[in-house]
Amino acid sequence: MTSYRTPFTASLAGAKWAFSTRRVQQSDIVGINDRIEEARSGDLVLGRVEQIGSHKRLQLTSGRGSELYPDDLVVVACGDRYAPDQFEGIARLNRQSSDLLASGGVLGQMRQKNGRIGQPTSVVPIGLLTDANGQIVNLSSYAEASARPSRRPTTIGLVGASMNSGKTTAAAALANGLRRAGHRVGVIKITGTAAFGDYNAYIDSGAHFVCDFVDAGMVSTYRQPVKQIETALELLLGLAGQAHCDVVIVEFADGILQSETAALLRSDYVRSEVPSFLFAVPDALSAVGGSTTLSEIGIEPLAITGVVSQSPLASAEAEAMTGLPIWTRDALCDPAKANALLASAASAAPLCEAAA
Amino acid sequence: MTALLHHLEVPMRSKKSALVHRPARGRRGLSCWMVLPNSVAPDAVPLIAVHGIQRGAYEKASRLRRRAEALGRPLIAPLFDRETWPHYQQLVRKGRADLALLALLEELRMEGIWQTSQFDLFGHSGGAQFSHRFAMLYPHLVKRLIVGAAGWYTFPDATEFPLGLAARQDKRDDWGPRMEAGLERFLRLPIRIYVGEHDSQPDDNTRSGPEIDRQQGLDRLTRAKRWSRAIQEAAKARGLRPDVSLQVLPGCTHHFSDCITRSELTHLVLPDSDDIGTANSKIAKA
Repeated sequence: MTSYRTPFTASLAGAKWAFSTRRVQQSDIVGINDRIEEARSGDLVLGRVEQIGSHKRLQLTSGRGSELYPDDLVVVACGDRYAPDQFEGIARLNRQSSDLLASGGVLGQMRQKNGRIGQPTSVVPIGLLTDANGQIVNLSSYAEASARPSRRPTTIGLVGASMNSGKTTAAAALANGLRRAGHRVGVIKITGTAAFGDYNAYIDSGAHFVCDFVDAGMVSTYRQPVKQIETALELLLGLAGQAHCDVVIVEFADGILQSETAALLRSDYVRSEVPSFLFAVPDALSAVGGSTTLSEIGIEPLAITGVVSQSPLASAEAEAMTGLPIWTRDALCDPAKANALLASAASAAPLCEAAA
Repeated sequence: MTALLHHLEVPMRSKKSALVHRPARGRRGLSCWMVLPNSVAPDAVPLIAVHGIQRGAYEKASRLRRRAEALGRPLIAPLFDRETWPHYQQLVRKGRADLALLALLEELRMEGIWQTSQFDLFGHSGGAQFSHRFAMLYPHLVKRLIVGAAGWYTFPDATEFPLGLAARQDKRDDWGPRMEAGLERFLRLPIRIYVGEHDSQPDDNTRSGPEIDRQQGLDRLTRAKRWSRAIQEAAKARGLRPDVSLQVLPGCTHHFSDCITRSELTHLVLPDSDDIGTANSKIAKA
């Protein structure tokens, strides 16, 4: 089959396409409009880098970070961002200058930032990208098709006290341990902002199936309806089942106090699909406070893990105060230990079939 | 499959299978003997045959070769050498024999030797110790467990590990509770236990002491009976229907060669189908 590109799409190929746009069929894009202020979450934006700020690199669809230069053309997605260590921003564009809220390629308007970091990289939106029907291209059009899995995997959730509490390290370690134990492992990042860091960490762990909310058509889950995130979870769990995974690890971004994560943890649907949790915390006090908060909504974690587990003293404090076992990264990577943890999770979910 | 064998020693061949030795990869890798039928269906469940303390991996493979060949099933007999794996039977002691076997099996899967999600696991004597403990840690990997003439067992009870599943007092983090976490799945496995009729005298290799003797008995025959009963009762206590049988091999001693020549052990280890009843009928029941 002969393929050709219009002059516009050919010029777009020279832009840096952000990881957030990885599912977009680039040949679908045939035009651009300047209704910048109408942009909503997930819309594709062609922009020009104006000034390099906090994010000095853009994560590309290829999975590598690209050094940014002033006047670089970038294709990113309009979206929200919630990151206590970085920015909070919303899916709103300013045609004079907008903010690169995440290096995965999320453009919006910063509302507040952590005091330890600089201003966001500014990007001038050139226009919103459109398809052959003149419609603005949105990531939601590229969500995976729903699946009908033949089996229902055992699921283990990973929640944390905060951003950078060690959730992804724990999720990847557990995926590695379970894979080495002979399981077919899926890892899902169900909330957060499009980025390849966690995604790549899961792939590096040896997980057989990796996906995130972008595969469900969302660039960010911040400020999105909980029902929509539940639907995304249903889709992604179905895909994991279709990929013949017998166990799926589901990571929830940020901490248990973050609005969407907090709502999801109270959701009947989520609790039925994810009956067991690991809790990642940075220190002993977070373990105590966090486990109390979880207990109030009826969640007793299987174990505590995360940054706290690197410190024997902090681990001892956390274990003494919570009565929960502390799992280090090495323990999660151990096939026999990971398998025992999975067995505990499976027994917490008697309706689930644990493995083939 | 022929192409895969270019990296392997092929000391002897028949028309229907190859008996090959695969050297260890790396310092802590396991070597193994394998029976590779010329034609293996993708769903052919491999048999992992674990030697006893005499390290008779070649004997396991060669003695079971014809039967594996007839069934079109790959057979893998790993070798835990004495220097690196002096206590491989206990699985999780220093060196972690379980991890070594997992690594070997992953390599062999990558080489196309086996493709299924599970395997049958068979061990004789020390290999039986290894096998039942491996199955307790990784029950999801085992399709069928055959435990032959083990010197002693890990019981599904509250005795301290390794005799039972309770944590030892001086261990904050012990293996017994990990095995207990997967116990229900283990108890769902088809488990075939055998022991020689004359394997009823303790010998120099029989671990003994007040606690183990009280729990398991003095000899392998008694211990096999007690373990068989214990796992059946543990299954029933959980509302499960145990699929466990104990075969006492008539006229047999402890030696694998004796068991294989005096009984139809090959059919117990490698039955005609998943229905073990045919094989059972050929062997006197306990």
